[in-house]
Amino acid sequence: MAKTAAEYFENLRESRVWRSIFRSGTGTSTLHRSLAIQQNIFLHLFSTKVRRRMLNFSATWYLGTLTFGTFVILVVTGILLMLYYHPSVPQAYADTKDLQFVVSSGLFLRNLDRWSAHAMVLLVFAHMFKVFYRGAYRPPREFNWVIGVVLLLLTLLLSYTGYLLPWDQLAFWAITVGSNIASAVPLLGNKIHFLLLGGNLVNANALLRFYVLHCMILPLAAFFFIGIHFWRIRKDGGLYTQQSEPAAVRPQPVGKEAQ
Amino acid sequence: MQSPQDKSYSLWHKLFGDPIRAFGVVSLLFLMSLAIAPAKNHFSEWRHYQKSYLRMIRGRGDAVTLQRHFRGGIQQMWLPELGAVDRCTTCHVGQKEASLVDVSTQPYRRHPVIPHSSDQFGCVICHRGQGAATTVEEAHRSTLAWEQPLVPTRYIESSCGQCHRASFAGTPQLNQGRALLTRFGCVHCHTVKLPDGSTMNATDDPPPLSHIADKTTREWIFAWLKDPRAYAASATMPNFLLKDEDARDISAFLIANSTPVRDDTIPISSAAQKSAPDPQAGASVYGESFCASCHAVQNAAGNLVGGDIGPELTRVGSKVKPEWLQAWIRNPRIYDPRTAMSHYRFNDQQADVLTGFLSSKTDSDLLANVHLDPATPEQIAHGKTLVTEYGCASCHEISGIKKPERFAPELTRIGSKPISLLIFIPGMQHTLPDYIVNKIKQPRAFGTGLKMPQYNFNPAQVDALTTALLSFTDQAQTMPAALTVPAMAVSNYQPAGKAGQLMNDLACFSCHTINGRGGDMAPDLTLEGSAVQRKWLDDFLKNPNTLRPALIRRMPKFNLTDAEIATLSDYIMTVYQTPAFDRDSMPESGYSSSQVEQGRQLFYSKYACQSCHIIDPKIDKGYIGPTLTQVGSRLNAAWIYRWLRNPQALRPGTTEPNRNMSEEDARALTAFMMSQKGSGKQEAKKR
Repeated sequence: MAKTAAEYFENLRESRVWRSIFRSGTGTSTLHRSLAIQQNIFLHLFSTKVRRRMLNFSATWYLGTLTFGTFVILVVTGILLMLYYHPSVPQAYADTKDLQFVVSSGLFLRNLDRWSAHAMVLLVFAHMFKVFYRGAYRPPREFNWVIGVVLLLLTLLLSYTGYLLPWDQLAFWAITVGSNIASAVPLLGNKIHFLLLGGNLVNANALLRFYVLHCMILPLAAFFFIGIHFWRIRKDGGLYTQQSEPAAVRPQPVGKEAQ
Repeated sequence: MQSPQDKSYSLWHKLFGDPIRAFGVVSLLFLMSLAIAPAKNHFSEWRHYQKSYLRMIRGRGDAVTLQRHFRGGIQQMWLPELGAVDRCTTCHVGQKEASLVDVSTQPYRRHPVIPHSSDQFGCVICHRGQGAATTVEEAHRSTLAWEQPLVPTRYIESSCGQCHRASFAGTPQLNQGRALLTRFGCVHCHTVKLPDGSTMNATDDPPPLSHIADKTTREWIFAWLKDPRAYAASATMPNFLLKDEDARDISAFLIANSTPVRDDTIPISSAAQKSAPDPQAGASVYGESFCASCHAVQNAAGNLVGGDIGPELTRVGSKVKPEWLQAWIRNPRIYDPRTAMSHYRFNDQQADVLTGFLSSKTDSDLLANVHLDPATPEQIAHGKTLVTEYGCASCHEISGIKKPERFAPELTRIGSKPISLLIFIPGMQHTLPDYIVNKIKQPRAFGTGLKMPQYNFNPAQVDALTTALLSFTDQAQTMPAALTVPAMAVSNYQPAGKAGQLMNDLACFSCHTINGRGGDMAPDLTLEGSAVQRKWLDDFLKNPNTLRPALIRRMPKFNLTDAEIATLSDYIMTVYQTPAFDRDSMPESGYSSSQVEQGRQLFYSKYACQSCHIIDPKIDKGYIGPTLTQVGSRLNAAWIYRWLRNPQALRPGTTEPNRNMSEEDARALTAFMMSQKGSGKQEAKKR
């Protein structure tokens, strides 16, 4: 009698290699399932249990996941773009041109990075509105709301620093205007301006600084806070359920009637 | 039966009803959209052009060669020194294939033969555009991300001018444009800094206006301001399109502001007044003095006849006062010490006749309708304001008014001005060349309150000017010095001492060049002392005659005194010598008759010099080079010998070919030349 696919998979799960990687072992009991989550560095960030209705589209509109999805796209495309880009004057602009003209699918890569960045900013805002209007920021989730605000700022800074990198006129003047806004801060304004640009004008130093911020410091910070953000969802009792919402505003899931 | 709404609902349900199926469908859509990127890459324009090139060459006789030369994929020329990455040859595949001479479709046309290799300079240095681009639109036209489109072929010489800073034979349009910029005084108002650090200087020599009341009348100034070309068809002064009141006030100011100069007017003697001007005698003095070498006069057919160094004289009698004219003819340097006009030493009678002759050149229509009331102080004050506003002092010296600095926009980098910084008039093409053309043609159409005057250039001149202006690019300013052909340095050479004063007085530099300074109408005199014999020079200065049968112009007779001639000759013979050889190193006479005869043979047979030169006026017909009938009394033997060996070494650019003569041939020919002392009759006539 031929083995089914499930049996093959079961055999694989019992192999020594598999067991050396996944410590929780086989079994389908609740304990085994929760161990599988808890003993994995990535999965243990998530709740061990999720209510099925929280996975419905209507519950969250998947906004947080979509935001994270764009972030992953940005990391992947960003790394690929870094392979073709020199943060120097005027080579930066020539590299941008080369991406457009000679790198295979280079324009696609660049556009993917750019549009994903726009999408991410949009999604972060949408996510925050959804959380706000559902009241999901209320205790015990108020700290995670603060983390979310930090992530909003990181997203905006990532978007802003990336704007300078093509080194075109649009970039130059956008950063000139943006950094001048920083210099309007009382007392410290000019110091902040100088620190941001590595000089008094947008030039090679500013380009290098923005490159390091865009490709190193800000993504790492974002990873760090995203980790905390996810972990706090679990610690705060999983996704915010609708039971605590006033019944009057509880939306009926679309398509429920059809089932 | 299902309604269409139900149908679409059931389709939606089929695709997205179940989360796993929805995930599958979305993933599939995403994968398909991802496939667009490599597909676009595969169907790119340059691949299409390379494929159709291969299809084109397949049927040709030279297919094998062309196929072997062909390289697929993106091609580029990288010139780090020029900062250029040119990928034009990706599509312009056959630009180097000489055998594609019959192909006229782009992008496969063969590039015309040029003196430079594209491997050294790439494409964009000359043609502009975006070299890095691999799409037609991006490479050729101006886009948001690249502001330098291709330069139209009619202005392509502008690109030569980025490196070639001196005028040269290959670029007539550029040369003309550069000459016009200086000749019409554009650079008085518009600063043009050249890449070598110098500033372009005007050559139009506008007259000073500080003493203008001595020279002319307010009515003439008014008429001239209204339309300079009504007075002189060759006027370089443009039309400022002034209103009558403005022209009235400016003329009032110029007359009121004028100060008299001592001795610059000489009352016309009663004798001269009595005797009616003799047109015959006047014309003959005018002709003998070779006034026409510098001054033009309109003939009956309306064509200008004469040179363009001095002003046109067609209607000069309507302009200048006779008292001033007479003083000017006698010594122009009293009125204007810097004038290009020579100080002829006319005697009283000649000056009288010439004054009468020129005063009779009038045009009664010119001032017929000009009636000006005496000027009021308000008018004069307003005139001064206008003179300042219109920047008259940019060109003319006007006492009491400073030459304005940076009066008009600087044009040093006009050829690289981004289109986004230009203001266009409705209906014109939005390109830099079109902007420049229209700015030259109709400067006042670009807005109100503009001051640039109206010039009257023909289309060829406009194109030439546009070409010259387009050559003033950022690239020209930053071009590595090793790649440029520098212009001749502007020389301020000034001869010393008494001879120097005399040479200035006679304005020798208006026609002759010495040590890099001066005009190009007459021969360069830098090495004259090594070339000619002293006696000939003395005779020539006393009574100049032409050496070249094809030339109508010749040096005028200045009526110099013997002392002045001695001063000049001494100076020329002593100072203007070449260090390359000693002019007395070969004897002037005493050559054996066999050597002379051998020279004659060489002259007529081996080197066929009679094609260009005349030894015997009865037989020889050559008129390209100077006549050699008396060359033995004119030139030094050493000069002739050196000249025959290598003419370009003594005078770079001379038409005389270098025949690579052997020492022996050159000596024989020198002997023959030195035997040509000229007929006794001419000698007698000279004296």
